[in-house]
Amino acid sequence: MTLLEFVEGPFFYFSAAVFIVAALWRLVGIIRIGRKKDIAPARGSAVTGFFKGNLRHFFPRGLFAQRTWMHLLGGYGFHLGLFALLLFAAPHIAFAERLFGIELWPAMPRWAFIIAAEISFAGLIVLWVRRFSDPVMRLISDWDDHVGSWLTFLVMLSGCLALQEAHDSLRILHMGLVNIWLIYFPFSRLMHSFTFFLSRGATGAVYGRKGMNP
Amino acid sequence: MTEAATTAVNTLLAQTDSDIASYLEACVHCGECAEACHFYQATKDPKHTPTYKLQPLVKAYKRHKAPLRGVLSILGLTPPEVTEDELREWEPLVYDSCTMCGRCTLVCPMGIDIAGTIRKMREGYAAAGIVPEGLTRARENVERTSSPMGVTAKALLAQVKRQKAETGLEIPVDQDGVDYLAIFSSHEIMASPEIIGGYAKIFKKAGVTWTLSTAAYEATNVGVQIGFGPLARDLVKRIVDEAERLGVKYVIAPECGHAYGAIRWAGPNLIGRPFKFEVIHIVELLDKLRREGKIPPGKKDSRKMTLHDPCQLIRRGGVLKEPRRLLSDSASNFVEMKGAGIANLCCGGGGGVSANERAEELRLKAFEQKLKQIDDIGDIETIVIPCANCRGVFEDGLDEYESDYEVIGLGELVAETLRED
Amino acid sequence: MKNFRRFIRTAVLLTGVLMLSGLLLADAAQAQSSVRPPGQAAPLEEDSGPSNALGGASDADIWRQIRGAEDMGGPDLPAAPGRNVPLYEDLMRELQGGIAGGTSSTAANSRLIQMLGEDWRHIRRDYILPYAGWVLAGVLGLLVVFRLIRGKIRIEAGRSGKYIPRFSMAHRIAHWYLAASFIIMAITGLIILLGRPLLAPYIGKDATAIMASASLQGHNLFGPVFILALLIMIFRFMKGNFFQWADLKWILKGGGLLGGHASSNHYNFGEKTWYWIVVIVGLIMSATGMLLLFPWVTDVLAWHQISTVLHAGGAILLIAIALGHAYVGSIGMEGSIDSMLRGEVDENWAKEHHDLWYEEVTGKKVDHKTGAIAQANPEAAE
Ligand code: SF4
Ligand code: SF4
Repeated sequence: MTLLEFVEGPFFYFSAAVFIVAALWRLVGIIRIGRKKDIAPARGSAVTGFFKGNLRHFFPRGLFAQRTWMHLLGGYGFHLGLFALLLFAAPHIAFAERLFGIELWPAMPRWAFIIAAEISFAGLIVLWVRRFSDPVMRLISDWDDHVGSWLTFLVMLSGCLALQEAHDSLRILHMGLVNIWLIYFPFSRLMHSFTFFLSRGATGAVYGRKGMNP
Repeated sequence: MTEAATTAVNTLLAQTDSDIASYLEACVHCGECAEACHFYQATKDPKHTPTYKLQPLVKAYKRHKAPLRGVLSILGLTPPEVTEDELREWEPLVYDSCTMCGRCTLVCPMGIDIAGTIRKMREGYAAAGIVPEGLTRARENVERTSSPMGVTAKALLAQVKRQKAETGLEIPVDQDGVDYLAIFSSHEIMASPEIIGGYAKIFKKAGVTWTLSTAAYEATNVGVQIGFGPLARDLVKRIVDEAERLGVKYVIAPECGHAYGAIRWAGPNLIGRPFKFEVIHIVELLDKLRREGKIPPGKKDSRKMTLHDPCQLIRRGGVLKEPRRLLSDSASNFVEMKGAGIANLCCGGGGGVSANERAEELRLKAFEQKLKQIDDIGDIETIVIPCANCRGVFEDGLDEYESDYEVIGLGELVAETLRED
Repeated sequence: MKNFRRFIRTAVLLTGVLMLSGLLLADAAQAQSSVRPPGQAAPLEEDSGPSNALGGASDADIWRQIRGAEDMGGPDLPAAPGRNVPLYEDLMRELQGGIAGGTSSTAANSRLIQMLGEDWRHIRRDYILPYAGWVLAGVLGLLVVFRLIRGKIRIEAGRSGKYIPRFSMAHRIAHWYLAASFIIMAITGLIILLGRPLLAPYIGKDATAIMASASLQGHNLFGPVFILALLIMIFRFMKGNFFQWADLKWILKGGGLLGGHASSNHYNFGEKTWYWIVVIVGLIMSATGMLLLFPWVTDVLAWHQISTVLHAGGAILLIAIALGHAYVGSIGMEGSIDSMLRGEVDENWAKEHHDLWYEEVTGKKVDHKTGAIAQANPEAAE
């Protein structure tokens, strides 16, 4: 077995399994803590609130957006770019199609890939720069934040470095980092990509019960 | 670990339900919330960042309750045990630097309810007896007289008598068989008793039967402010027992934000059963009566007015449109301040902060932001504030900064602008 | 203590990740089979020629051989049978005369071989490559010497413990944004430029090829990010960066680097010069870089050749100064880094390094003999 086959084969399966099992474990664990039923008479629906809360917090409020627009721009840029890369990069789709043995959606063209990468790198750098140069961010950040940012950065970077698709070793580097990232993910704050749904929902549900549409 | 720390940590963990857990899990340390908190805005001190205030809870949770903590602790990645020193270090942040206004939740991309979480943290602190002196005193007062300012039933009756004389109207006390039981915050009873006369005037006009009670007149719930569950429950229970004894259909929560939340939203959960009556906020009731045509508006007040949005009523209570509808009937020169409504700035003294002398300097600093917001409208004469606690904070702050805006309650304004027959 | 432990943990984790990636890379470089044509390359037709017609030599090797295998650092190939070794020189001599060949390419100016290309190749190989390395090594050496002679520049009066704001969040983001993309561009660029002479002899050709391919992709990708960062920085920092009278005096006093005091405003002459160098050279880098990235914009080869030369020269200049800038901004001068990390600086630092600015923002006067020293607060010293 070559190293490439190893990082794309057994090592990848292992990391993916860790990712899925641990992430589910953590989500179920949070939900299983449970909460007391709210018996105050409701003025509105908690369920609607749950979903409304989730939608509402996708968008910043104008009043506040003025103050931290750079940060917001960076945040959106990074996340949107990342999702575009993750889901629509040609090598990713090819990999997934090989993995699942089914045909998936069409890939984005190369120029779109480049633009998405530019945007998400620009965003990630802004976020990270803010993290170490703003007193508030320095106070509230911990090692997990930095490791998460760096790992994600390295995964993205190695992916882009392998763009020529001419060297197996660059592909190995990228896949190796992806595997490490997958293992790290469920144990870290990267889990916010799933827990946001719970926390926004919890707040949304409370507000929903109070009949508010904030 | 000291005993206090153990008690605190155990209580904190017991308070952490799946909602709180998801908040603690989801925070991405993005720092957006800092910009929303008036305490950070006023001081620019990073320690007033909302999420930072939760740190001891986060640590305890990660060490003792978070899923996957087992794996992480093998790698030495769980945080160390929370110490008493640490808890004490955070105590001013938990009590002085959060009014539980919920503004930070609005900007948080994860929708984290910092205010609700602080409320739970205070449970841990109160159980361990790590509470600021001002609030401890308020609690002692409550246990003695049922009111944090030490207002006794006798004092209430004296105010009622004076209001009777002033308005010439009947003010029923301890009467059963009526529809509404009115309760007040001590601040109203002592500082603006006109509201009692105002109620008499409005209800007479609307033909509504109501009463005061000498057994349950205090709406302020110090238990909720300190975060002491048992006391909070007793205080709610006192009102519930009396209301159910009198057989009223509604209890009217006064113009006091957190008192409303305490009985309307927390109340049934505190005593563990639904009430046999409904809780209605006075502003909601006035709006309802107005729309039913029972209290038609008369000549409008022409002073240039603006409305302060009390956090617990508007943002966290959901009574957003009612005050504005009432105002448009009662004031001819009403202007909104910038940022009015659900995202309005807190006065800086909610959540028990105004009862806590240690926090005075910080509270006044925070109020400066509020004052600036009002100054920016220009030429305001009167600020309508449907919350007695906010009114107190405003009066203090206006005094401190030598500003001469007039501060009035909404009920008062409605009573004054009723149509004369 | 708490922070230290956290730092160690982070460092250990990161080092682990980096080592692992390094191992993967090194290991993979061993495998000969790891090179294949680029993903987008057109497939070779099966019958495009007899296989192995050129022997084991690559195209590059053959060209090298034609040129007489001068100073290439590559292996000396056995002369191909029937081929003169000085063939290349002869050919060049012939071509200098400008023999028109029958070519249809406008770019080649109807010559068989475009002579400028030969000059360009010489400039690159005889001047840029050797000197680039030496310039950078020299700058590093200078910094070491400077450190040994002058030592760390301390805040003479000690820290006052009081801070005054210097750079807003927007300034800091602009600065670090540019710094981060600059570092990426510099490292990948240096690998592209100097990989063959400096890396290949040590890590081998295969690994160099991989690093060069990776660097090229990274360099191309981050180029536009760098340009964006540069533009943001240019606008953010323009205010206060125009030259003033105080700058002349500052120059005359040698900037105070060698001792003595040199007054300055928000930015001193050195910083202002650095700003304008970044603006001008940075814009040149951006323009030439874009041309190299989109070569089809023009088919005048001279533009491309000038671009590569300017791009390389500008890069060396920027990197050299950036090294000095980074040194003075961090370990070289006490209190400097605060301005970009916290956004505020110690009052005494401001008095000593930017007195005129200090007077402007605080409205106080700086007395260079006693003032700063009298106000030092021993407890604030770290
Ligand atoms: S709830 Fe209000 S006071 Fe408390 S942290 Fe959030 S913004 Fe600040
Ligand atoms: S805004 Fe929300 S996610 Fe961001 S730091 Fe504050 S609490 Fe955490």
